Amino acid sequence: MSVSSSLYRSRQIKSAIALTLCVAATGLGLIFLIWILWTTLINGLSALSPKLITEMTPPPGEDGGLANAFMGSLMMVVLAVVIGTPVGVLAGTYLAEFSRGKKIGDIIRFMNDILLSAPSIIIGLFVYELVVRQTGHFSGYAGGIALAFIFLPVVVRTTDEMLRLVPDVMREAALSLGIPRWKVTVAVLYRAASAGILTGILLAVARISGETAPLLFTALNNQYWSTDMSEPMANIPVVIFQYAMSPYDEWHVLAWAGAFVMTAIVLLLSVGSRAVLNRKGGK
Amino acid sequence: MMLQSSSTLDTRRTATPMANDKLTLEDVNFYYGDAHAIRSVSLNFPERQVSALIGPSGCGKSTLLRILNRIYMLYPKMRATGTVKLDGQNILDPRYSMNELRARVGMVFQKPVPFPMSIYDNIAYGIRHHERLGRADMDVRVEQALRQAALWDEVKDKLKGSGLGLSGGQQQRLCIARAVALRPEVLLLDEPTSALDPISTAKVEELVSQLKTDFTIVIVTHNMQQASRISDNTAFMYLGELVEYGPTSQIFQAPKNKRTEDYITGRYG
Repeated sequence: MSVSSSLYRSRQIKSAIALTLCVAATGLGLIFLIWILWTTLINGLSALSPKLITEMTPPPGEDGGLANAFMGSLMMVVLAVVIGTPVGVLAGTYLAEFSRGKKIGDIIRFMNDILLSAPSIIIGLFVYELVVRQTGHFSGYAGGIALAFIFLPVVVRTTDEMLRLVPDVMREAALSLGIPRWKVTVAVLYRAASAGILTGILLAVARISGETAPLLFTALNNQYWSTDMSEPMANIPVVIFQYAMSPYDEWHVLAWAGAFVMTAIVLLLSVGSRAVLNRKGGK
Repeated sequence: MMLQSSSTLDTRRTATPMANDKLTLEDVNFYYGDAHAIRSVSLNFPERQVSALIGPSGCGKSTLLRILNRIYMLYPKMRATGTVKLDGQNILDPRYSMNELRARVGMVFQKPVPFPMSIYDNIAYGIRHHERLGRADMDVRVEQALRQAALWDEVKDKLKGSGLGLSGGQQQRLCIARAVALRPEVLLLDEPTSALDPISTAKVEELVSQLKTDFTIVIVTHNMQQASRISDNTAFMYLGELVEYGPTSQIFQAPKNKRTEDYITGRYG
């Protein structure tokens, strides 16, 4: 009796220590997140007004907003999503559904993982060579393409993983109705994996909306309102980079405000994607 | 000994003196890579009867069932040899259309797997692929299938609700409805009650007895009482071989093979 109670006691102590460490680690992560949000909010507060999204990036010493940068970021992210989603979902589908037992599947998966962890500045340089050098100037298209290269492997990976999470018996059940493989994939498997695939896309959007390095080499920046994607394009990350490095106070405030809005958007996308996953998964 | 001639089977059914063989297996072998999982099995499944496959885990009974609609072809490195004739045509012939085969040979699995869509669509989805039906005709077909699976009364007010919201037993009957909705000729049941509670099991068993007026049924089961309750013929398999096959009453009351007798009486398995 005494032996077992001392055994339990020592386990309880270990459990308490482990739990404390877990909570501390979680708290540490949260503290930094709140700290970042708080700092950007306080420092950018004076620029957080409707002007932020109605006025252009100003020259030094003047009042202004980030409208052109938000628009540019939005357009390039949309371009990346438009390119990356179909290619990524199809490639992920091929990996999960049609490359079974084939060596090519493992090779593609491995290459995709390398692309996934490739430094984004390398991707920027690559697109610089691929698009900017060929066309002779920086452009929104080049920026969108660079973002697509970062977006793509995330979608491939999540689509592949989410489809592989669908139990084989679901495939068997659908195939046993005499329905061809592609139709089973589209109508049954995508539906079963939709929440996961959507989450992957949202997380990938969150990831690319803060990328700076690839845009420095491709979209560069633009002081004026421009929706022409064949021209250099303003975007939030590069504007933050430029303004934060500048000696002007007005620019600093705008950089803080831009940082706050971007962080909040990324946070919302992440939280939103979790919500999608939970709501679908809970059913 | 392994091949039970069809005449002995027929003596049991005086009303239909010549029960035709719906499925005829000749020298069927199956390989998982290098593993030889089914060893030269030959037997016949008579039309509109329930035939049970029994045997200990790993004996190949599920594998044998999965050859009959070629569902094993989903996986690489699996291969079947020999002939399986459905109404005289060899379904293992690669030229035999897999989708046609599966429309004629339906399957219900051990775990109920409703598709992630409404109850109505779970049934209609398969039909839509094979037939072009108007809205009203489709409604009739869906109702018919749900009635055949003894599920209609429980779900008629929530046809638009998700199939995943049903209980386990209801889900399994939904899967049966989904299979019979295509009006197949053969129904393969792979341990359809092993994940169900006793009441649901009784319902499914009753259903099987009713369904055999329309379908030829092959059922894999772990449960020997179940085999003796619902089947007309029983095949006992062991280590990939067919040990004994015959009328269920004979297999359970007067097994000719020692291994069958040992298994039936619970000496192993």
